[in-house]
Formats: sequence, structure tokens, C-alpha cells
Amino acid sequence: MTLVATRPDPGDARPYTFPGIQRLSVAGGEVVAAHMPGQLLATATLLLDAGAAYETIGREGTAAVLAKSLEEGTATRDSAAYALALEGLGAELSTSVDWEAFRTGVSVPVGLLPRAVALLAEATRTPRLDPADVERVRDDEATALRMDWAQPGPQADAALRVSLFEPGERYGRPLHGDPESMAAVTVEDVTAFHEAYLKRPGVLLVAGDLEKLDLRELGEAAFAGTSGAPLPVEGPLDVPLSPARRLILVDRPGSVQSTLRLGHRAPERAHPGYVPITLAATVLGGAFTSRLNHLIREVRGYTYGIRADFAMSRRFGRFGVSSSVQTAVTAPALTDTVGEITRTQQDGVTEEELAVARTWRAGSLSVDMQTPGSIAGALATLVIHGLPDDYYATLRRQLLETTVEQVSAAAAEHLHPEALTLVVEGDAAAIRDELVAAKLGELL
Amino acid sequence: MTAQPAPVAETGYPWPIETARLDNGLRVVVSEDHTAPVVGVNLWYDVGSRHEPAGQTGFAHLFEHLMFEGSAHVAKTEHMRYVQGAGGNLNATTNPDRTNYFETLPAEHLELALWLEADRMGGLVPALTQETLDNQREVVKNERRQRYDNVPYGDAWLRLLPLLYPPGHPYHHATIGSMEDLNAASLETFQAFHAQYYAPNNAVLTVAGDVTAAEVFALAEKYFGAIEAVPVTAAPHGHLSGPATAPVQETVVGNVPAPRVYLSHRTHPFGTAGYDAMTVLATVLGSGRGSRLYQRLADGARIAQPDYIGSYGVDLAHAPAPLIVTATAKDGVDIGTLTAGVAEVLDSMATEPVTAAELDRAKALLTTSWWRQVSTVAGRADTLSRYATQFGDPGAAAYRLPQWLAVTADDIADAARTLNPESRVTLTYLPEGDDK
Repeated sequence: MTLVATRPDPGDARPYTFPGIQRLSVAGGEVVAAHMPGQLLATATLLLDAGAAYETIGREGTAAVLAKSLEEGTATRDSAAYALALEGLGAELSTSVDWEAFRTGVSVPVGLLPRAVALLAEATRTPRLDPADVERVRDDEATALRMDWAQPGPQADAALRVSLFEPGERYGRPLHGDPESMAAVTVEDVTAFHEAYLKRPGVLLVAGDLEKLDLRELGEAAFAGTSGAPLPVEGPLDVPLSPARRLILVDRPGSVQSTLRLGHRAPERAHPGYVPITLAATVLGGAFTSRLNHLIREVRGYTYGIRADFAMSRRFGRFGVSSSVQTAVTAPALTDTVGEITRTQQDGVTEEELAVARTWRAGSLSVDMQTPGSIAGALATLVIHGLPDDYYATLRRQLLETTVEQVSAAAAEHLHPEALTLVVEGDAAAIRDELVAAKLGELL
Repeated sequence: MTAQPAPVAETGYPWPIETARLDNGLRVVVSEDHTAPVVGVNLWYDVGSRHEPAGQTGFAHLFEHLMFEGSAHVAKTEHMRYVQGAGGNLNATTNPDRTNYFETLPAEHLELALWLEADRMGGLVPALTQETLDNQREVVKNERRQRYDNVPYGDAWLRLLPLLYPPGHPYHHATIGSMEDLNAASLETFQAFHAQYYAPNNAVLTVAGDVTAAEVFALAEKYFGAIEAVPVTAAPHGHLSGPATAPVQETVVGNVPAPRVYLSHRTHPFGTAGYDAMTVLATVLGSGRGSRLYQRLADGARIAQPDYIGSYGVDLAHAPAPLIVTATAKDGVDIGTLTAGVAEVLDSMATEPVTAAELDRAKALLTTSWWRQVSTVAGRADTLSRYATQFGDPGAAAYRLPQWLAVTADDIADAARTLNPESRVTLTYLPEGDDK
């Protein structure tokens, strides 16, 4: 048998193109659409400036309850009739809430999109919000959150988040609240949130074969009956850092793994250093071949996986590492992890590592954006962060052209191993002494 | 512009399909689509956990991990680095039926993917070391902890299989395997495993995307052509003489936040008319807010949590595949009330005819989900590999959607009558302290 021994060279690179973008102002709102000729499915997303950042402290989860309540009947039909109408098109209403936006969306065969958008608008703009329904949804959401919080992860995430912000800051609380805050949400919170934020026109994102779609018709359906001006955009927050490393232990008696969450604050998404910062995180913990995955999974066998990234939203960012390791190796896994972050911060990255990170991130722009749903998500990024229509072509070029010096400088400036909060959710009785002895940080 | 009616699907696969077979038996499938500059490469090996003998559970899946750890001309860790360095993503999965390996890359890197896949098909054994095996054994044990053992209800699938399939049946044990068997795995066993199953005549290679069929066939010959065929050993047979004849129940008391029930039946193998009816039945019963389960138990009686109710089939092709129906109790609802409620709705599928509106809703949802599945080159390549491997013809993929759409209310009633309580598996989870 003779296998080919040498790795083949790539063929000629195909030119990169992002689908052509069309913008249309209609009925007080804006339609931003991407043309994907020949696509059988089409996606429409209503992007509203109604993120969780607007929630009242102690009532975190209000937007999530509202999102779920949208399908509990509308001004013109009850919940069963609405479900049959929407699902009869093959659509399901997807809703999501993040810090800066509230989204409702549908994906259907392209010919059905006008009817699906009309139903999307009906639920978003004119939900019934019957108090008994809202209270039931609130109780269900609180129960669902309790179910979720019974899994490893959410408690550790919350412990990390609260340590990164000042008391009273909304961003220091979980994005979707915790079981207590969710249970405290009132009908008035929900109806007031709807009144204040979901009746403004917002932006309709459309991705699909635009030759088969009338954007004006879609926009008129999405923005019917809306009013109000866009809300002012607040500027980015500073990047406060802890003077010393801190260790937080969340007890999970009997756990066979320890869930690790490490992090510190970082700049916002629109920061000019976005590309080198992202590439530094890719080398450290983004790719499968990253430093962290190589050492902790492939060399040590401590974990099924570990990753590091910068999560960057409109007003702030955070550097974070997440993993689950077997209980017995919790302390050495943490020591190794902090060691790799420190090494990256001090010594930067190598050309060999960066070459992989560059081409991977650049190639992902083609590989990850094949479907109308993923293109609609890319359009949302443009709108939320105020980026130009040629952004993805520019981003691709920047990813490929950024140098080792630029990425190493970004690692030196934006990684802060001495300011990390280290959260460990695991069997405290089994790991506490060893964690203290490892002297990774003061145990809070 | 007025809304257009839902398209009538005459085919579920409107892209071209071309096939070839190398002299060594490797089947090559190509589906051209030049709308995006990407290519999906997918290999199905006809080996899964159903092939594992007693004492070797988890070996097919552990082997999948070893396939990323280097081969004759690819050093340890280079596989991932080359693919990601080309801008691609990659993964692999193992289930009872088969093991699949796949990557999506910018189209100019097609040859790299084929070279890597050929090198580990034909040249894994020389690169396989005890150190690699020991390391990946620990990774897999951590995977088991993270996905099954450390998660509330995480082991439901592991518990359902032995209740659904008798000892000795290929589906009796779960793909992740037992810690004991994984600990006992020897290097020689894996070398033999590769020799037995990772052969060109036991695999299908599919490439979908911005390529031409002629180019792919030539490259397949160049990289895979020299790999020798081996005699393929027949898989253990999955024959079952009809449905189970006695109900089975298991109750787990543990660290779970609320009572949950799973009702399950063996139905028909994936790919049969009986299973198509079961797929539509499961959608009517438990997919979406308009489903019977949601309408009657989450919305109507309000005894089940809306986010944790549903029904689905597990698409296994080599023996009657499971239908699984599940619900989780709302606060204050006891497991008896919940289980009776779920059983009543399941039984209603046989006694209350499915309405036209229910049937249309289910078919519309299945239509969208089908088109979503084939909306990426990776999804398309995996689909074609499946139909080539399991039914001998990638073109058979085109029939699945029309066959779902041809299912009638009578077909569903017939299917539902086979889901009688005498053949039912009931798996119950109770929070500690609720087991009195």
C-alpha cells in the first residue's frame, strides 16, 4: 500500500464575498437584507433595542418572561390558534434576549416568509399578555431556571459575573436572572417592558433569495402600528481590574467533576483592538489546537475540553476560560491554566500558532455563514455595533494581515492573569484544602 | 406580492448527485453546489457500538478519538491544526449504527481533507501508541462524566437502551460504554479494530459543495486508491421477533430537580414506511407548542413543564428504533399524575383520529426541518453518506421528505395501535426525598 506522503498545497483561493446587502427605510423602521440566491429557506429577525440591560435590578428575567409570553395569545387569537397558524407554516418563533437586543425570528421556505413575518409581528407587537398567563409563564420560567441551575455551570457563571462588576450594576447579575429574580418578576414589569421597548419599530433583518421577496411588504408588516424614536446608545464602560487573584468555591457535594470559570473584565466589541485580541484568545484557548486544550486535554487528559475567549458586547467585555475537570485534578488543572494564561501574556504568541488562528478565523467567515440563519445573525452584529456594510470583507483582510507583534501586544495589554477571578464549582470537601495549598489566590 | 403556497416537495434533494466506486470498494458520492466557496467532506464507516462484543463497550467511540491523534504521515495533533489552519472545522460522532467523520473547509483545501482522511484510513495503526490510547481513554472518561454522569437525567439514554433491547442485542448497551470496559481496552484490540472496520470497502466518502465530480473522483483515486480492501465481517444481527411483550419499569431516585418520566417503545427501523409514520406521529404528538402533549399537558392540564415536554424517534436503522416520549412535572405535581397524563395523550394517538390541521402542522414542521438539515454542505454530505451506507443509494435521500408528506391519518392510527402499554418501557426519575 502506498499512501501519499506529503501534504498537498491548497488550490487557488476562491474570492470571498458576503451576500449583497440591501437597506430600506419603510413604515418608520429599517429593513436590512442579505441576498442569497437559490436558497430554499429564508430567515427574518426583528431586532429590537430591548435588551436585558434595561431590566430592573432584582427583576432580572423580565425580558425572558416577556419573550415566552408573546406566544400566549395575541390581540386576535388565543395561544392554541396562534401555535397552529405559525407551526402550520412550518415555523417556530425563536426569541432571544442578550444585553443589547431582544430578537424574535422565523425561518421558513422562502415563499412562506410574508405570512410568517405577519405572525411574527402579531406576537411581538400585540401580545395578549393576560395577567394569569404572564404569571404562569413567570412560574414556568422560574422552574425552568431552577432546572437549569441544578446543572453544573450556571452557579459558577453567576459567581464569576458578580465578582467582575460593582454591586448594583445590572451587568453583574446573570443575563437571564436567577431563579429568585425570575420568581420576583411581576405582570407590571412585563407589560411595562413591552410598552417601553417592543413598540418601537426596530430593525427587520432578512436573509434569503431576495428575488422572491418584497422587502417593503415585509417591513410594512413588521413595523405596522409602531412608534417612537431609537433609544440613545450609551458609551463603553471602563475596564476595572482586581488588584489580586481571587478564588471562589461553589459547593456541589458529590460532584465527579469540578466546573471551572476564570475571568476578568475586557474592552467592548467595537474596540479598535478587536482583531488582535480575538486572535490572541484563539491561540490561547479558541482552537482545538490551542495552548489550553493541548495541555489540559491532550497532554494531561484532565478534561473533555477547555476554551478561552473574549466575550464582547456593546458596553463591556470579559475574558473568560471555561472547562470541567475531574475532581481529583482540580488544583493542578487550575495551576496549569493560570500558567498558560501567564505565559501568553508575558511571552506572546508564535508565528506558527498565529498562522493557524488567522486562517481559521478568516476561513470560518465562509464556513460558518452558509445559511440564512447565520447570515441574519451576521447582519445583527452590523446593526448592533454600528459596523459598515463591507465589514466582513474588511474583517477577513484584517484577520489575515495581523502580525505576531500586534497579537503579542494585545495579549500583553488585555490578558491580566494576576487579576483573574477563579471560580470552582465542585465537591468542596474533596478539593478545598488542595486549592488553598496551591496558593492560586485568596479564597473568598 | 402575495404569499405563495407551501411548496409541494417532489424531491427532498434538488441538487445533483454523482457516484463512483474505486477498485478497492470505496464508494464516492459528489454533490455539486457552487453558491458558496466551501466544501463539505464526510466519511461514514459502517461500524458503531452495535458491532462491539461484550466486554468491549465504548470501543467504537474511543476509537473515533484515536483517529484524531495522528497517522502515518500526520504527527500527533497535526490533524486538527491542518484543518483549522485551512480555515475549516471538523468533528466526528459515533452512534450505535456507524461512525462519521466530517469537515467543512474553504473549497481550495479539498485536497488537504482527502489526504488527511486517506492517511488515517490507510495508515493509522503505525502511529497508534500506548500513550495516545491512555490519554484518549481519560478524555473519553471525562466526556462520560461531563455529558452523562454529572448532569441531572443525563444517563436516561444509557438506562433506556438496556430496557428496550434484550441482553446480547446490538443496541442493548450505550455507545459511550462502561468505565470498566474502557479501563480494560488494550492497544492490540484497537489495532485489530482498525484492521477490521476502517477499510475502503466499509466506507462511503461524500463531498458536497464548490467542486466538480470529476475532480473529486480523480482525487479520491489519488489518495484512497492504494488502500487495500479487507473482508468485511458481518455485524451482529439486530433481529427482534416483534415488539416487547411485557411492560418494563425502572425508577431512579437521585439528584434531580423535579420528577420526570420517559415512555418508550421499539418501533420500526429507520428508513421503513412504519418508521416514517412514527416520525410524523412523534411530531403530531410532541413537537412544538401546537402538539398534543404541549396543548394538553403543558397548556391544558398544566401538569408538565413547557420547556421539557416532547416526543421524538431516534433514527437507528439496524433494528426497530426507539420512540421516546418525555415530560417533567411542574411544582407540586406528583409522578403518578404526570405519568398517567403522558400515557393518556400517547394512547389518544390510537383512539382519537389525527385531524387535518394536526397533520398539516406536523408535515410543515418536518418540511422546514428537512430543508434546514440540507441547508449546509456538511448537512448535505452527511445525509448522502447515510443513504449510501444504510440503503445502498445516496439518491434515496430524495424520498424521505415526500414519504413523510405521504403519511396519512390512517397510517398514524395504525402506527399508534402498536404503541400499547404491554410493550412500553417506563423510566422515572424522582428527586431524593420524593421516593416514599
